[in-house]
Amino acid sequence: MTTTSLKRAASIALAGVVLASLPLPAPAQAPVRIGASLSVTGTYAKPGTQQKEGYDVCVDELNAKGGLLGRKIEFVVYDDQSTPATAVKLYEKLITEDKVDAVMGPYSSAVSEAVANVTEKYKKVMVAPLAATTSIFKKGRKYIFMVISPAEVYLEGLVDMAAKRGLKTVAIINEDTLFPKASAAGTAEAAKKRGLQVVLQESYPKGNTDYSALLVKIKALNPDVIAAGTYFDDAVAITRQMKELNVNPKMFGLTVGGDLPEFHDLLKQNAEYVYGSTQWDDTLPYPGAKEFLAAFTKKFKHEPSYHAAAGYAGCLIYAEAVKRAGSLDADKVRDQLLKLETKTAFGEYKVDADGFQVAHKMVMLQWQDGKRVVVWPDDLASGKARYPTPEWNKR
Amino acid sequence: MGLLITPTMIGQVVISGLLAGSLYALVALGLGLIFGVMRVLNVAHGPLMMLGAYTTFWLFHWWGFNPYVSLLISMPLLFVIGVVLQRFLVRRVVDAPELSSLLLTFGVSIALVNLAQLAFTSDLRSVEFLTGSFIVGPFALSKPRLAACAFAVAITLGAFVFLRSTRLGKAIRAVSQSREVAQVCGIDVQRIHLLAFGIGTALAAAGGTLVAVMVAIQPEMGQVYTFKSFLVIVLGGAGNYPGALLGGLLLGLVEQLASLFLTAQVNEAVAYVLLVLVLLIRPTGLLKGRV
Repeated sequence: MTTTSLKRAASIALAGVVLASLPLPAPAQAPVRIGASLSVTGTYAKPGTQQKEGYDVCVDELNAKGGLLGRKIEFVVYDDQSTPATAVKLYEKLITEDKVDAVMGPYSSAVSEAVANVTEKYKKVMVAPLAATTSIFKKGRKYIFMVISPAEVYLEGLVDMAAKRGLKTVAIINEDTLFPKASAAGTAEAAKKRGLQVVLQESYPKGNTDYSALLVKIKALNPDVIAAGTYFDDAVAITRQMKELNVNPKMFGLTVGGDLPEFHDLLKQNAEYVYGSTQWDDTLPYPGAKEFLAAFTKKFKHEPSYHAAAGYAGCLIYAEAVKRAGSLDADKVRDQLLKLETKTAFGEYKVDADGFQVAHKMVMLQWQDGKRVVVWPDDLASGKARYPTPEWNKR
Repeated sequence: MGLLITPTMIGQVVISGLLAGSLYALVALGLGLIFGVMRVLNVAHGPLMMLGAYTTFWLFHWWGFNPYVSLLISMPLLFVIGVVLQRFLVRRVVDAPELSSLLLTFGVSIALVNLAQLAFTSDLRSVEFLTGSFIVGPFALSKPRLAACAFAVAITLGAFVFLRSTRLGKAIRAVSQSREVAQVCGIDVQRIHLLAFGIGTALAAAGGTLVAVMVAIQPEMGQVYTFKSFLVIVLGGAGNYPGALLGGLLLGLVEQLASLFLTAQVNEAVAYVLLVLVLLIRPTGLLKGRV
């Protein structure tokens, strides 16, 4: 479509709105255009692409059901190359030049934080499905909405399981960056609340490759549980060095990394018994999960990750709010998003007055015979946790 | 927190520090060699090391190549890449102000990392060859780290012997002491530059190969080694080759001991404080002068 014909289409649509409060279906109407930048290349290429694919499945599904407000939906997606600065420019462009009707969030907390300033400035509602950092939503912003669980609750399940087993001590370590720091702080708080003693809490610099001294200290303290706020490379390195130094806690849980198939590919039998934390798993019995899985694998010939599921759900949640508002008007949609309580293929959605997610649940996985088994919470579990973790030489 | 640091813990941490330090020394020696001969600070040293690590990974992945045997491929391969870089790029900035060489190698570094991301993706890769450790009394000696240390020490000593005793090695040292005099004596300085960059890069590649067996690798793994190598050669005395060994071991020890007595978070800070102290007290590095 050329720019002139676009403009013409837009003016026709505008004329339609002005002329008619008539609720007639108007097939000639221009599509609802939703803009987003996603990390299709660069460091976040993998999860960013999954998120985009999640959006695509959502659009297919909505269009098959007649679109939004009787109009087809069209996604306008640019690649932000995993850099917040590029994403900021792209959201400016989407809103001011492309004049999209609505926006959806990009990948990662860092990029979401950066572009939130733009979307707030232009009063655009942004459902940010892959932003997990609490602070983004606690700065008085009005139009940003959270879908996934915040960093602080990632290891809630580990602490809960440990407390129920009567374990007493926990060592908490984390990479010294935004997300792992927040998850370590949340874990420490949860542990104290449940009566566990935090015998060590320490962070290490990003890119660290040698954890010997840290693990020697932990070994001397002999905690029942080790909880680690990790990304992925550190998760692998720490697990390996725990084996090398024969550090044997009864439970060992990780935030990010422990949930990925690659974790087991890299570590093989050394991944066994390790607990990982995830936002979503395709075995969870959520409404529409099976249909989403089928549509996704049919379209893309590979399995969806939680990023895809969150993107898909975020898009559905936005569409639901628009339907209830009967309009694309930012303030009306915002009111609906604040009120909305729903359950999608990704799990529960409900936000507080800041748009901060309060209902979605994390699940804990454990590696058992090379498979990820959901072991927490009980009502979603597909298997029992193998406990206690045997010593390294007996795995 | 009631943590009592026992002599056993200190012993374990000293072992880990020395094992890590020997690898720092190996990688830094390559950087130091290039700097000594050409006064070029090669920011791309770490990313070149990353290429060495990937060479080992792919050989292992496709053909199940023993990663330690793959040193025989990764080192010559990166030697050639180093020579090509020197011949077509770095040569142009050898006599230019130092900023030019920094900018150029910085560009090369960014290009290498991004090309690696395109070619290999950002996925973590690992060579699961040796895991676990030898238990000696109360101490655990990590198998992959011990092997890395043994190879690193052997290669570093090999490089020393080469620089000390062979004609070529002597020519390299002559050029690093005084290019003009070396030229007058009939040494082909351009050729020595090619050779030095090639050897320096091959040493980085060896480091990459050894690291690949220890930790999971990804395209951005190298940068941290560039910085550590800078630290090591300044600590040991820029242009002083045995100084690299001393500096490397010292850095490894300081990092680990700082993690033990303070926190892991400050180990880098402590290393840089040490650097500042050395620069204040002995600006030429611990072992001064050039060999």
